[in-house]
Amino acid sequence: MKDNVALWARGLTKSYGKIQALRGIDLEVRRGEIFGFLGPNGAGKTTAIRCMLDLIRPQGGTLRVLGFDPQADPVAVRARTGYLPGELHMEDSYKVKDQLRYYKDLRSNHIDWDFVQQLARRLDLDLAMPIKNLSKGNKQKVGIVQALMSRPELLLMDEPTSGLDPLMQHEVYRMLREAQAEGATVFFSSHIISEVEILAERVAIIRQGIIVEEADPHRLMEMSLRRIRVRFSETIDSTPLAEIEGVTLLSLNKGTSAHLQVEGEMDGLIKALGAYRVRDIKIERPSLEDIFLTYYKDEDKEEEIN
Amino acid sequence: MFAEFKHTLRHMRGQLLGWVIGITLYSVLMASFYDSIAGMEGLVELMKGYPQEIMAFFGDSMFAITKPDGYLDLYFFGYMAVIIGVLAAAMGNALLVSDEEKGILDLVLSYPVSRSALFWGRMVGFVSALALILFTSWFSWLVTPSSLGLSWIELLRPFLPLMALLLFFGSLALLLSMLLPSARAAGTLCGGLLVANYLLIGLSNMNENLEAMIKYTPLYYYQGGDAIFDLNWVWLSGLLAGAIIFTLLAWWRFQRRDIRVGGEGGWRLPALSRLLRR
Repeated sequence: MKDNVALWARGLTKSYGKIQALRGIDLEVRRGEIFGFLGPNGAGKTTAIRCMLDLIRPQGGTLRVLGFDPQADPVAVRARTGYLPGELHMEDSYKVKDQLRYYKDLRSNHIDWDFVQQLARRLDLDLAMPIKNLSKGNKQKVGIVQALMSRPELLLMDEPTSGLDPLMQHEVYRMLREAQAEGATVFFSSHIISEVEILAERVAIIRQGIIVEEADPHRLMEMSLRRIRVRFSETIDSTPLAEIEGVTLLSLNKGTSAHLQVEGEMDGLIKALGAYRVRDIKIERPSLEDIFLTYYKDEDKEEEIN
Repeated sequence: MFAEFKHTLRHMRGQLLGWVIGITLYSVLMASFYDSIAGMEGLVELMKGYPQEIMAFFGDSMFAITKPDGYLDLYFFGYMAVIIGVLAAAMGNALLVSDEEKGILDLVLSYPVSRSALFWGRMVGFVSALALILFTSWFSWLVTPSSLGLSWIELLRPFLPLMALLLFFGSLALLLSMLLPSARAAGTLCGGLLVANYLLIGLSNMNENLEAMIKYTPLYYYQGGDAIFDLNWVWLSGLLAGAIIFTLLAWWRFQRRDIRVGGEGGWRLPALSRLLRR
C-alpha cells in the first residue's frame, strides 16, 4: 500500500447471517481527494464505512485506513477521522452544546471551541437548542459540525446532506471543499447522483456488496454510452457505420438521418463520418444518473434471470 | 475513560437524584421510628400468635424486630436488596446496549475511545451511582437521632453485602444484555431472577425441600442485617467474585461484538416464525 493512500481495501467481506452485505470490496482512495461512494439503499455503503471505524468486523479481506488496520488499532484510526453516520442518533436530554462538549471530551479536549461555534454559525445551528426539539435537518447539522470540528485527516460521511435544504447542502459542499483544501480526504456515500457529480473527484459504484465501477465522474461519463444523431446532406449507406466497433445503429430515417449509440471512444465513428457530407451532429451526453441506472438495470435483469 | 464516567453519571442524574431523595427520606423515617419499637417485647409475643406461614416467610428477623439488627433487616436490608436490586439490573442492562439499540453508540465509538475505555468508564460510573445511593442511606441512618446505638462501622457492615449483591445482579444484567437480543429482555430476565430468588428464600422457610435448592442461589449468601455484628467475609467475597466474573465476561463479549444500529444481529427463532406464518 502506497503512502499517499488514505483508504485501501482488498477482498473485504461482511455477512449478517445469510445476508452478504460486502462480497469482496476492492477500493483505493488517495489522500486529499473527495471520493463518492454511490449506490442504492442496501448496497453495502454503510457496512463498508462502519468496517473502516471498527464498529463492525469484516469476515475476510484486508483494510487499511490512513495506514492503520482498524481492527488492530481502532483508536489511531478514530483519532484522525471525523464520522457522520447515515442514521444520526444523539442524547435527547442534552442541548446541542452539551452534546458537542461531550464529543469534545471524547477527543480529550483537542478541539477549538471557536471553530465549533464558527461551523454552527455557518450552518445556522442554534447551540442552545435541546436535541429533542431539533428537526431532522438540524440534527444533521449537529452531525456535520461534530464530524468537522476536529479538523480530521479523513472524513467518512454517510449521506452527508440528508435532510438539508439546497442552500445548506451547498454550504456543506463548501465546507467539505475547504476541509479538502486543508489536506483532508473526504469519503462520502450517497445515492444522490447530482451530489456526487458536483462534489466527487472520483466515484465508486457499489452494487450488491461489490464495487462495479471506479473512476472519476467525468471519465465515467466519457466511457459510457452516448447517443448521437447525425443528419446527412444526402442519402447514405449506413452499413459501414454499423460495423464500427462499439457503435450500434438505432434507426435510420429516410437514409438521411441516423440515430447511433456509441460505447467507449468516439474516434472510430468520427473518422467514419469523414466519408460522408454531414449537415448536423448532436451528441447526447448521459448524466451520472443515466450511468447509475444502467448498472442497476443490469442488476435487475440478473435478478430476474436468477 | 473519564469522559465516559462523567457522561454516565450525567446521564443517570435524574434517576440518581430521585433515588437519593427517596432513600434518604425512607432511612430517616425508619431510623426515627425505631425508638417506638425498641423494647416492646410484647410486640414479639403478639407476633408469635400470627399464622406460622407468615412468620416463616419473613424469617427469624421478625422475632428480633425490637433489636437493631433485626429491625434493620426487616425494615431495610431484607427488601432493599430486591428494590435497589431491580434498579441495579435496569442500570446494568442499559449501560451499553440501550445506547446501542438507540444508535447512539455508533457515533460515540467513532471517537478515539477504545471499547475497553468505554466499557470501564461506564462501569465505574454505574458502580459509583450505586455506591452514592447506599452511602446516602448509610449516612441518613447514622445521623438520624435514634436509640439504634450502632457505631458507623457496625452500620456500614450490612451495606457491604448489599453493595455486593447489587453489583452481582447489575453485572449479570450487563452480561445478559450482551448475550440476549435486547436490553429489555436482559433486564426482564435478570429482574425476574432476583424476584424469584427472593420469593424462593421466603418459601424455603416454610418448605424444607427447598432448602437444598436455595444454596445454589445468590440471595442465600446475602446476610442483610445479620452482617451488623457478624459479617461473613467468605459470602461477601463470593458475591463480589460473581460480579467480577460477570463483568469480565461482559467486557470480553463487548470487545468482540459488532456494534448494532438496529435490525442487525439478534436472535432469530426460525421454527417459531414458520409456525406463526401458518
